[in-house]
Amino acid sequence: MSSESATPDSGTGEEAMVREIGHDEFDPIGTLTLIGLYFALLVVLWLFMYFVEFLGNGPTVVG
Amino acid sequence: MDIHRYERLWLAGALVLIVLFIGTITYGAVVVGVEMVSASGGTIAPDEIPNDDRFSDPRPRVEQVGENEYEAYVIARQFLFQPRQLRVPEGSTVTFYVTSPDVLHGFEVVGTNANMMVIPGQVTKATVEFEEAGSYGVVCNEYCGAGHHTMEGSIEVVPQSEWEGGN
Repeated sequence: MSSESATPDSGTGEEAMVREIGHDEFDPIGTLTLIGLYFALLVVLWLFMYFVEFLGNGPTVVG
Repeated sequence: MDIHRYERLWLAGALVLIVLFIGTITYGAVVVGVEMVSASGGTIAPDEIPNDDRFSDPRPRVEQVGENEYEAYVIARQFLFQPRQLRVPEGSTVTFYVTSPDVLHGFEVVGTNANMMVIPGQVTKATVEFEEAGSYGVVCNEYCGAGHHTMEGSIEVVPQSEWEGGN
């Protein structure tokens, strides 16, 4: 749909690569932090659900 | 295969989570003694209920079977529980035997984990410990017909000092 006058790479960013980094240099610390938060949330909610809401909600079927 | 160090971290974290989940369930089963309601109550033909000693002699009831151990026989039918009220002393262990002559019912001690499905042809058996005195409501939690919403009962857990042993 682009007009014939536009250059093929305009706006795509393919020409904008500043530097290439190796496998170990890739450092997605934000993603790690986010996943860490999700994990912490899961652990806290699980412990709350099981120990407080379930086990704390006696009487419970024991036989 | 080269796995990024962060990815190793959250792979390990996911495995630890799974172990934690299984661990807590195991703790509940082994240490706390949480059990599932099983089919161990056996079967009963719905039209045989009136002829069954447990549910007819003299009527559905609570029976003492040991020190602080009781058995409660309950018929759940459209739209009431027989008996409507059960009385047990505080600190007692009660084994419920519940059955239905008509349709599917529920037997839920409101606000607790004691919750059973009552199936025609089946005797639902579950053991519950009542540690605290008080009045517990019982409701049917399976839609059983037009009067479902009125189907309720109660379990009166009487303090040891006030228990005279009767029902």
